[in-house]
Amino acid sequence: MAQQEFIIQRYNPDTDESYEESFNVDVQPGQTVLDSLNAIKWEQDGTLSFRMSCRHAICGSCAMKVNGQSMLSCQTQVDAAAERGDPIHVGPQGNQNVIKDLVVDVSKFLNQFERAETWLEPYEDQDPPGREHRQKVEEFDHWSHASTCIHCGACYSDCTVAAVDENFLGPAALAKAYRFVMDSRDSKREERLQFLSEEQGGIWDCTRCYMCVQACPKDVLPMDAIMELRTLAIEAGHVNNHGVRHHKGFMSGVRKRGRLDEMMLPVQSVGIGRLLTGNLAAHKEMMDYTPGAIRLLKSRKLLTIAQRHGANTEGREQIERIFEEVEAEKHHHDVDAEAFGAEFETALGGH
Amino acid sequence: MLQHDVLIVGSGLAGMRAALEVSNDPTLDVAILSKVHPLRSHSGAAQGGIAASLGNSAEDTWDLHMFDTVKGGDYLVDQDAAEVLTREGPENIFELEHMGCAFSRDDEGRVAQRRFGGHTAPRACYAADRTGHAVLTVLFEQLLRRGVKVYSEWYALDLVVKDNVCQGLVAYDILSGQIEAISAKAVMFGTGGYGRAFRVTTNAFASTGDGVVMAYRAGIPLEDMEFVQFHPTGLQGSGILLSEAARGEGAHIVNSDGFRFMENYAPGRMELAPRDIVARAEQSEIEAGRGVTALRDSVFMDLRPIGEERIRYALPSVLHLARDFAGIDPLEAPVPIQPTAHYSMGGIPCDINGQVRIKDLDGAPEITGFFAAGEASCVSVHGANRLGTNSLLEAVVMGRRAGRGILDVVHDLEPTSIDEGDMANAVGEVDHFLSASGSEKVGQIRAELRDTMMDKCGVFRDDAELRECLSEVKDYQERFKNVSIDDHGSTFNTDLLDAIELGHMLEYSEVITTGAIARQESRGGHARRDFPNRDDENWHRHTLAYRPQDGEDAPRLEYCEVNMQPKFREPFPLQERTY
Repeated sequence: MAQQEFIIQRYNPDTDESYEESFNVDVQPGQTVLDSLNAIKWEQDGTLSFRMSCRHAICGSCAMKVNGQSMLSCQTQVDAAAERGDPIHVGPQGNQNVIKDLVVDVSKFLNQFERAETWLEPYEDQDPPGREHRQKVEEFDHWSHASTCIHCGACYSDCTVAAVDENFLGPAALAKAYRFVMDSRDSKREERLQFLSEEQGGIWDCTRCYMCVQACPKDVLPMDAIMELRTLAIEAGHVNNHGVRHHKGFMSGVRKRGRLDEMMLPVQSVGIGRLLTGNLAAHKEMMDYTPGAIRLLKSRKLLTIAQRHGANTEGREQIERIFEEVEAEKHHHDVDAEAFGAEFETALGGH
Repeated sequence: MLQHDVLIVGSGLAGMRAALEVSNDPTLDVAILSKVHPLRSHSGAAQGGIAASLGNSAEDTWDLHMFDTVKGGDYLVDQDAAEVLTREGPENIFELEHMGCAFSRDDEGRVAQRRFGGHTAPRACYAADRTGHAVLTVLFEQLLRRGVKVYSEWYALDLVVKDNVCQGLVAYDILSGQIEAISAKAVMFGTGGYGRAFRVTTNAFASTGDGVVMAYRAGIPLEDMEFVQFHPTGLQGSGILLSEAARGEGAHIVNSDGFRFMENYAPGRMELAPRDIVARAEQSEIEAGRGVTALRDSVFMDLRPIGEERIRYALPSVLHLARDFAGIDPLEAPVPIQPTAHYSMGGIPCDINGQVRIKDLDGAPEITGFFAAGEASCVSVHGANRLGTNSLLEAVVMGRRAGRGILDVVHDLEPTSIDEGDMANAVGEVDHFLSASGSEKVGQIRAELRDTMMDKCGVFRDDAELRECLSEVKDYQERFKNVSIDDHGSTFNTDLLDAIELGHMLEYSEVITTGAIARQESRGGHARRDFPNRDDENWHRHTLAYRPQDGEDAPRLEYCEVNMQPKFREPFPLQERTY
């Protein structure tokens, strides 16, 4: 039996005190972080509060930060978390208010599911239903991984967008929305894609940092789901929004100049057409960019006139080649998507 | 005082399914109250499947399913209930599928079905090996869609019943520490099982039999509490469940000689015999010195005969659980397993409409406005031993029936009320722990209790051990009076809840043990070394245990008949149970 030090981030709501507290725990091989927290609670300090229930990675109660990363404490072995006998730091999830010790207010996270209406909206159904819908194994396999979400909040806790944007739907709710977009039993595919494209905090707000995929204790792959939603939304014609304009501006800047054009990007994102027609909201959006633009100028991040003339000829050729290769690849993907779409239609045929 | 027409306690499959059903009537105000957020409920931990005779994989009928259920339960099953369960099974599956449940599919695109222990046909509908999670999720999604009110992280402290009429509940808001009365014309308990009293268990920390004990304290007898199912494939040590789906897909169980010992216990079914039989076989092998690992306290389950591709596709959770919680890769090596307390066959007595009813001798008085469903209840569809995949089915079918049962009567029920006097017990209990200064600790007593129950009231039982067990439980009850807690705060005080839950565990452990001592036979999950045979003449009947009244020092036991009157077919007569 070995001793392991745990440094726990604590918060006492009665006194409004935050502090770190160290505990030493005897650990056996195979012992988890949750086992250790329980040992502390039951044998040393009963005031330590945390959520837990199933203790085998299915109820989603015990997600917290272990050494700064969000994970399920029940699924995390002490041996794996402790480096060379260093103390293990345990703290509450991020991006949510702490209620007490390791207990956070999960309502902000869970409310996103309601906001995205992540439940099946059936077609007119028989009542009682005579039989099940038919659904191809391939269709099921395409989205079923996203249905394994245990709503633990680990992805939301580590999300770099949720950290700065209260409005962001977050990885879990978006992945769940994806699951319904892809499910042939759902009647609201179009409405969902529109909502997810246009809603403040929707699919276009993800910065693709990949933290959610890393934090997820299941197979949900939230960021991949968000990326797939973007493709589906564009295919469905939801292109007249900030996210798509930003995406296109980004691409055209790189294609033309070989690098990001921070000067033009806001104009393109807000929409040149909208600005020219004197759309007040668009001009307001432009104004919102001003403080950021000044900071960029000061830190010399904006391209100079000379730089805006772009890459040399050789560089341009290389960039063009890259774009062509990617587009060929994408065409390939589209063919797949078409084939899948046809299947999807077949599956919907019953309605 | 808070007020609803219908209040459902517990947010697993039974509770949420009932709430959905009640919410079909827009004139009714229904709420769910749960000590954990609904998505954390233990139904979500069910892995292998949900049974129904869809006949997608092979020919199947509801009465074949009913027969398997009755035989699996060693004929203690109420046949009117097993009939309802199996006849209404398919329709309930289709309903879940229409709600969006992520059922795995067969090559025809239908709900896929696989084999399970004790079932003669492949009738386990599944979502890989996370079926409970899939059903729980979809029910919660539909509840959100309906906008049903949820008291999440509220702890029910006390059920208020006056003159056999349920008035409502006294509950504790875990976030604020406030105690509130919530009156309701109808209350339903879907509060889950009581496996937490055993050292080795699959059960969540939350499965502390709170609802069962609240009913008991309100004067309602508990039915068949001595029947606890030990699941044969718990991970060694922790008891974490490895799904029976592993055996359904073709895993072998072997002893230290590498012998598939089920050959000697159930040659006709081998590993797919019902759980009580496989668990006893394992325990016998272990006791005969043919256990594996250094401790020799387990046997091996070998998944490799299933093949890697199928394991990855159909048993991803089993694969991950063995890797994450035992450090063993089932693709490479067999996994040590042991019997683990899993399911509570006993519970709150109720009829096939969820109506709580004291199945006493004559007249069967009911508790007006009080309903139960799921593992907390005892209808009894499982009798002395539950078949795998019948629990999710029961929770859904009986949850729906309880919802309908409530709809049938609630408009005719009088408004109820709860006054300060009715809250005294609950307030007193909380105050007691918050101010107690004794020297005993919750964690210590709980650990000793779980050892006692596991070692002396486990897979095999006998009179001497059971009596020791009972006396130790009584001892813990005495020591518990002297318990104190560390946390005296009002916000998220889980220390306080631990103490209240231990009180529940101590109370129902006494009931389990008392019923087990009295039942001098072996039937299903209750196996007596000193009475190895089933004794239909004396014991083909349900136990009803009443809480001791003033002057009594032990639960009072009465017995009632097993229902042998299905509506749509002849009853299945008692037969010897062999596989």
